[in-house]
Amino acid sequence: MNQQLIEQYVAGKLGEAEAEAFEVACLEDPELARQVEVEQRLKSGLEIVARGSTAEFVRSDSALRWRLAAAASVVLFLCAGFYLWQRLPGGHPQVLAAVTTHLQREGPSMRLALVRGAESMPQLPAGKVRVEIVGLFDPGFHYSVMLDRLRQQHDVANIATLDGQHPTSPMTLEIMLDGAQLAPGTYSLRVRKQASDEEALDFTFEK
Amino acid sequence: MDFIPGGELSRRIREGDVSAESELIRQFEPGLRVLLRRRTGGDHGLLQDLVQETLLVVIQRLRGAGIEDPQKLAAFAAQTARNLAIASLRKAERQKTDVDSEATERKPDHSRSVDTQAGDLEAALAVRALLRELPQARDRLMLKRFYLEDHDKEQICREMQLTEAAFNQALSRARRRFRQILEERGFAKRDLLNLGL
Repeated sequence: MNQQLIEQYVAGKLGEAEAEAFEVACLEDPELARQVEVEQRLKSGLEIVARGSTAEFVRSDSALRWRLAAAASVVLFLCAGFYLWQRLPGGHPQVLAAVTTHLQREGPSMRLALVRGAESMPQLPAGKVRVEIVGLFDPGFHYSVMLDRLRQQHDVANIATLDGQHPTSPMTLEIMLDGAQLAPGTYSLRVRKQASDEEALDFTFEK
Repeated sequence: MDFIPGGELSRRIREGDVSAESELIRQFEPGLRVLLRRRTGGDHGLLQDLVQETLLVVIQRLRGAGIEDPQKLAAFAAQTARNLAIASLRKAERQKTDVDSEATERKPDHSRSVDTQAGDLEAALAVRALLRELPQARDRLMLKRFYLEDHDKEQICREMQLTEAAFNQALSRARRRFRQILEERGFAKRDLLNLGL
């Protein structure tokens, strides 16, 4: 029994003989009868609601749009919060971080400089270390510091990137590096002037 | 549950099998509601009364003399329901005329109004819930035009720039959800209740 027949019966569009045959079919098939009753009640429910007012049928989708906009705002707010939380010192253990306190300057440190003919690579001390990168820096610019792990056959895996770092002097840029989060191996710190095509300074060290 | 043919139900009821009477109620009650809903003009109380009365008449007939063609038990039950609905309508008309002829101060008869309102209210509340849930104004307008304004599908599709498939899909979604809402409010359970035979 198809839906069209149900619709026609409920709308009173079947002839008398057809309607009576359909009613007998409903008595012989309780599930068909339930489908028809749903259709009858949907129609009568709509009639009652419309008797009060038809405003409910023509209300615009603005309520939905507001709800979607509110949901989008919440998602945006959460994303922004997560982003800021990621950047806040102490909020999440970070391998690379900016030097922010005087105490950090007095703690363990490692000096990285391009030394021609050096025979050994610097060793990263345990724990959080202030890394003093020596080079020629432009104090009017921001620098990005990228920490990569070097594997065999020139395979490089980026571990972390820290943007927006200011040199502490024209010859020094300092960052904090958490050695506890690094597995033993060879690493490189690449320092690049942001918004510039200047070649990056590349320093290697071992953990 | 399986459908038990009228012939078998008739025989078992005649032999005094009470479970066959329950089975007859389970099978016929939904169909009788459909048939009588159409003839009681939204009077929920009258609908319930007539469903019970029909089942009672049919069962008593099967317990006693039986029917001419037991294979046509559904047709017999349907005709009984129609006759009872007509009789009820005539009775109501007569009562109206009697009251008018007495020309007394009439008070509105509220005896059925609570049931009537309750039945209507249930469907109306479910419709309200459905309308709130329908995400698109287009779907709500579609329901209005199809069920209330009695426009045919082709016309609605043409004017609302819908394909027939999209129209049927939206309608079927609305029906499904409406049934779900009714069932959450106890529509399915009630099918087998309220029959104090």
